[in-house]
Amino acid sequence: MKKKNACLAALAVVLVLTASIGSAMAYFTAYTTAAGGYTINLGSKTTIEETFSDWTKHVVISNAEKSEPVFVRARAFGGSAFTITGSGSGWRDGGDGFWYYEEPLAGGSSTAELTFSIAGVPENALVGDSFNIVVVYESTPALYHEDGSVYADWTMILDAEGGEA
Amino acid sequence: MKKLSKLITSPAVTVTAFVLAAALLLFSTIGGTRAALTYYSDAYTSRLATYDIGVALVENGTTVASRNYSSAGDGSWSTQDGSLLQNMIPEGETLHVGQKYDEALAVANTGSINEYVRVSIVRYWLDSDGNKVRTLTPDLIDLNMPGNGWVIDPEASTDERCVLYYTSLVEAGGVTAPLSDTLKIDSAVVNKVTQTESGRGTIVTTYDYDGVQFVIEANVDAVQEHNAEDAILSAWGRSVTVSGGTLSLN
Repeated sequence: MKKKNACLAALAVVLVLTASIGSAMAYFTAYTTAAGGYTINLGSKTTIEETFSDWTKHVVISNAEKSEPVFVRARAFGGSAFTITGSGSGWRDGGDGFWYYEEPLAGGSSTAELTFSIAGVPENALVGDSFNIVVVYESTPALYHEDGSVYADWTMILDAEGGEA
Repeated sequence: MKKLSKLITSPAVTVTAFVLAAALLLFSTIGGTRAALTYYSDAYTSRLATYDIGVALVENGTTVASRNYSSAGDGSWSTQDGSLLQNMIPEGETLHVGQKYDEALAVANTGSINEYVRVSIVRYWLDSDGNKVRTLTPDLIDLNMPGNGWVIDPEASTDERCVLYYTSLVEAGGVTAPLSDTLKIDSAVVNKVTQTESGRGTIVTTYDYDGVQFVIEANVDAVQEHNAEDAILSAWGRSVTVSGGTLSLN
């Protein structure tokens, strides 16, 4: 009987304590959400077109359609017997042997023509004599400062991981 | 001790406790009953005022998403669903890696009661199939968060998620200070590459971040001002201290 009374007393206490739980848990809350983003495109494919006439190499570099903008530079190598002089509208002599195209090259566009004139060719050169002038070019992705101005980073080092062929 | 035990378990005390419990239960409902009677009897002269809560996510001064509970008190709500970053890039341009774009995110109180708010910012990368790419770091999605009265909860934050609490009470109709001001994609995405030797001395270099999509997600929570500490613990599971209208994390 005593045990039963104790249980009933405990039950009464629990009932009183839990009577207000419903209101205690009812808080005003609200929630909303939104998301957004953009796709990053980084790839580029550049090609060089060279022609030779009148002891001058004519060079045009193109960036393929849908490629991201790139900066390009080019230089010519030849034997010490020859003097090579570069020039071209929109091209700047960087003083390090390279000629730099000053504007970023957008996808689907080409540079103005860069010419390398070759001087010092022997007047008595004969058919069959050989000489070699090699033009190399490089490209780097157009980068942007925080204010939106564009620049090229020719010192950028790629952080490469190996993959499997 | 025996006397006390005998007294507690006596039928008289048990009956008294039951009567007391029944009385407490009955009286606890009187308030509601009386309110209902007052409402009906004074129907021609008084109004029943109910409160509603609402919250909106504001991007560069424009509301992009919101949820507002009805003042009718029936638990219904209305929502505005929008997307972030829709006007970030001028038409005809593409995303410029490294450039800072305006991205001021704030929270507006669109309800009729004061509230405390928090925002969870989630940054991640998706591949072309819409799957999350966990090998690419969210750190390169650089949403600048200058403070402005927002504090980061270090216990709830990860590389991908940042949880911020606004330390001030947001009054009805008010707007918080911006939790962010600019967004840029770090230029480091350009020099993360994978090189593969395809035979005959040819090395193919692939940009790790080429063709992936960055995503920023903002989840906004609001909770009532009244009894805020308990409300926040109950609704958000976070222990805070609210003193003089200022919230601090415990």
